Amino acid sequence: MSFFVALQIGLREIFAHKFRSFLSMLGVVLGVSSLIATMALTRGIEEGTRVFMQQVGGLELVNVVPSEPSSRMFEFANLSHGITLRDAHLLRDSATLVSHISPEIGHGMAVSRGDGVNTERRRVRGIYPDHFVIGMHGLAAGRWLADLDVEHGTRSVVIGQSVAEELWPGTPAADLLGRQILLDQTPFEVVGVLPLYEREEDARARKLGQKPRPRRWDPFRQKNESVLIPFSTMFHEFRSGAFPENSMESLKLETLSLRVGNLDHYRATLGQIRSVLDLSHRGVDDYDLETREEWFDRMEASVRAARLSGGLISAISLVVGGIGIMNIMLASISERIREFGIRLAVGARPKDIFWQILVESMLISLIGGLLGIVASLGLIEILKMISPTENVPILTADGIIFSVAFAIVAGLVSGLYPAAKAAKLDPITALRYE
Amino acid sequence: MSILEFEGVKKTYRVGDQEIRALAGIDLRIEEGEFVAIIGPSGSGKSTLMHLLGCLDTPTEGRMTVCGTDLSRATADELARMRNREIGFVFQSFNLLPRLDVVSNIELPLIYSDIPARERRERAVEAARKVGLGDRLSNRPTQLSGGQCQRVAIARALVNNPRIVFGDEPTGNLDSATGRNIMEIFKELHASGKTIILVTHDPSIASQARRVIELHDGLISREERT
Repeated sequence: MSFFVALQIGLREIFAHKFRSFLSMLGVVLGVSSLIATMALTRGIEEGTRVFMQQVGGLELVNVVPSEPSSRMFEFANLSHGITLRDAHLLRDSATLVSHISPEIGHGMAVSRGDGVNTERRRVRGIYPDHFVIGMHGLAAGRWLADLDVEHGTRSVVIGQSVAEELWPGTPAADLLGRQILLDQTPFEVVGVLPLYEREEDARARKLGQKPRPRRWDPFRQKNESVLIPFSTMFHEFRSGAFPENSMESLKLETLSLRVGNLDHYRATLGQIRSVLDLSHRGVDDYDLETREEWFDRMEASVRAARLSGGLISAISLVVGGIGIMNIMLASISERIREFGIRLAVGARPKDIFWQILVESMLISLIGGLLGIVASLGLIEILKMISPTENVPILTADGIIFSVAFAIVAGLVSGLYPAAKAAKLDPITALRYE
Repeated sequence: MSILEFEGVKKTYRVGDQEIRALAGIDLRIEEGEFVAIIGPSGSGKSTLMHLLGCLDTPTEGRMTVCGTDLSRATADELARMRNREIGFVFQSFNLLPRLDVVSNIELPLIYSDIPARERRERAVEAARKVGLGDRLSNRPTQLSGGQCQRVAIARALVNNPRIVFGDEPTGNLDSATGRNIMEIFKELHASGKTIILVTHDPSIASQARRVIELHDGLISREERT
């Protein structure tokens, strides 16, 4: 018997008992649709996490921060100058795997509009232009700080959205360019405004006119509250007075931000950074490398856990669907014993009967799987309606193919036993069966 | 070479711990083109003999050769192949598949010999015409009379052009006029060279055969040729 004939017989059988077939499909429909929906949901969470990771600077961001030297090194601590601009330049020249470097010094200042209105104390940071690349910044209007700003120590400033909103509420970013702000009474010109950074769910909540859920910790706060000026300006205008004996080169930095050029060489890059710094610090361990690894690993682990638990529950429901098929197939073959007897009498081999049942149960699960795809689309819409501010579920071809393939396998496995049972029938007994 | 050769064929069934001897030792040769009737009271073993002759089962002991092939120890697949190619069955209760129309019922043996769909259909339609059902091709068995059903069964038995046609009480469920019609078809088949074997308890049917074999307690008790 050819496969095509088996398909025909199977389809005829399924359509001859529409309601029964539908019932046996129902388990598969629900299993497949929930599996697809779960996979789309976790895919959405993954995507949300990925975007979030990028917005906070990505795995590529490494901060060099000062730390207390270990007790072993305490005696020698003053052999090292600490983290300085010299380190930044050494790293730029020697750590070839590092693609961007920005030193950073901060200073708490009174920030107000040029006319002195809306004063608030904020942390102003002096940086190199690489800072914008390392922090994966965008732009709402204007430009980032440039090398020339650092070279000439211009009084240019780039501000984040929260700062802009505080100073000039409701004014579009483009209108802010060229306006003056005062940093500790020193006038600066706004040359650029950063975009608003927010979580995807907050963005959606804002669009829907809801208030964003308050959270304990806003990872974008620092970026949104940025007041950034050239490193050299910061030094000459605000810091050199306090330490006139210091040159800019030997000023102790708060942070040195780096960007790893290629994540494939992440470990090697960290090694390079350590080698350069150990040399320039004469072996004194008065610095730490702050990486995002652990944080991101934790986030990825929770996404994996969500995917696993969701997938497992849906897979179980698909297995239950398979058991449903087996049940119906067993009932159906005991009803069709005489049919198998007739088929055997006219020359069907036991394996022909076996295939006929197996193909039929696979067809049930395949059709159930296809209906499940349709149902999953509805299910995803319902999920979106129930919880519009969560990550948007993302339907992928992989998810659909995997789910339907899993359904077919479930149909295959659940058809095996009924098929073997039908194939074992003795033709004489089967023909006599009433 | 005989088309059917049985030598010392015995068949025992086990029911619980009891052994039932259905055939106690049958020696039988049937030549190609014969018209044979097997008769005997119920329990005489005539059904068992027909099942063996029809390759639905294998003997417990003895040798059984069908169309030149020794099937004494044949597997289920070998028996199925022989039934498919060389044997056609006509049953008392027709044994048609109720959900299939006339043509699909007739072409049933052909789907198990891997014949392409178009040829299956052509041969099934031709077989239906031969038994006078050319205008009933797309009817279901439930829409046909008993005689028409039996004609469908005969067409199905013939569609693969077998050398042997079995009838198991083929007129048992029919009124006498229709039964006579069916017997006419069997006679025509015999005339065209088929080997016909009928199992019956009706003497008037048996008398139409050229050779009558009577069974008693699992043995051939009498044989008669006309």
